[in-house]
Amino acid sequence: MTRALGWLAVLGLVAGLAAGFGYAPSEAVQGNVQRIMYLHVPSVLTAYLAFMLVLLGSMGYLATRRPRWDRLAGSAAEIGVLFTGLTIVSGSIWGKPTWGTWWTWDARLTSTAVLFLVYVGYLLLRNLIDEPDARGRYAAVVGIVGAINIPIVHFSVKWWRALHQPSTILGPEPSPLAFPLKVALYVNIVAFLLLFAYFLSRRIEIARLEEETA
Amino acid sequence: MPANWGYVLAAYGLAAVTLLAYWRHLARRARALTTRRSVRTRAA
Repeated sequence: MTRALGWLAVLGLVAGLAAGFGYAPSEAVQGNVQRIMYLHVPSVLTAYLAFMLVLLGSMGYLATRRPRWDRLAGSAAEIGVLFTGLTIVSGSIWGKPTWGTWWTWDARLTSTAVLFLVYVGYLLLRNLIDEPDARGRYAAVVGIVGAINIPIVHFSVKWWRALHQPSTILGPEPSPLAFPLKVALYVNIVAFLLLFAYFLSRRIEIARLEEETA
Repeated sequence: MPANWGYVLAAYGLAAVTLLAYWRHLARRARALTTRRSVRTRAA
């Protein structure tokens, strides 16, 4: 099952690259640099999903004290941090030619950096506590509180005056993207979600092995 | 607007390296833990 997910993710990523670089044309205003969107937007959506799973796993663990919920939360957090890091770096690279700067303390960028740091802290906390139940409980509290950041990041561009553009998708208004760009974006989102599912499946298995061999 | 391919390549290149490194980290960790478990099972 995990192996099949891995191959599906590889196929999805190849299709995503073909769609982003072959099918979708160069964007009229930004030119080729807009193609970073096919990496940047799927990364942040994957990170949102990962941190929602941290919330789910954390609540599940506090309610039931079953280790599998803690394994889900810890594994999803690690992958969420990975994809948030990719979001920040790809956004920074995209920002330089379009905004003229690698970084600015804009509401979206700052709230994303806070989200990243909260979950880095979550992972550090997990590493600091050896006793499994205490680790699960303390991490669950941070995992639940940290999830407050997800809507803040997403709606920051609406709540505050921001340099960052409004949401390309998942916004209240219809997406402004032309059809080929939208297709390329959706193909890449599916590919990233498959990759996330593959990483999560492997990471949860590793967490189970870590408990067995502790 | 200039082509800016350098930025595109940098973003995709960094992402590819990061994702491959994480995949490799997971594979190595899984292998090490599986070996440790089988050694323990044999010793028991």
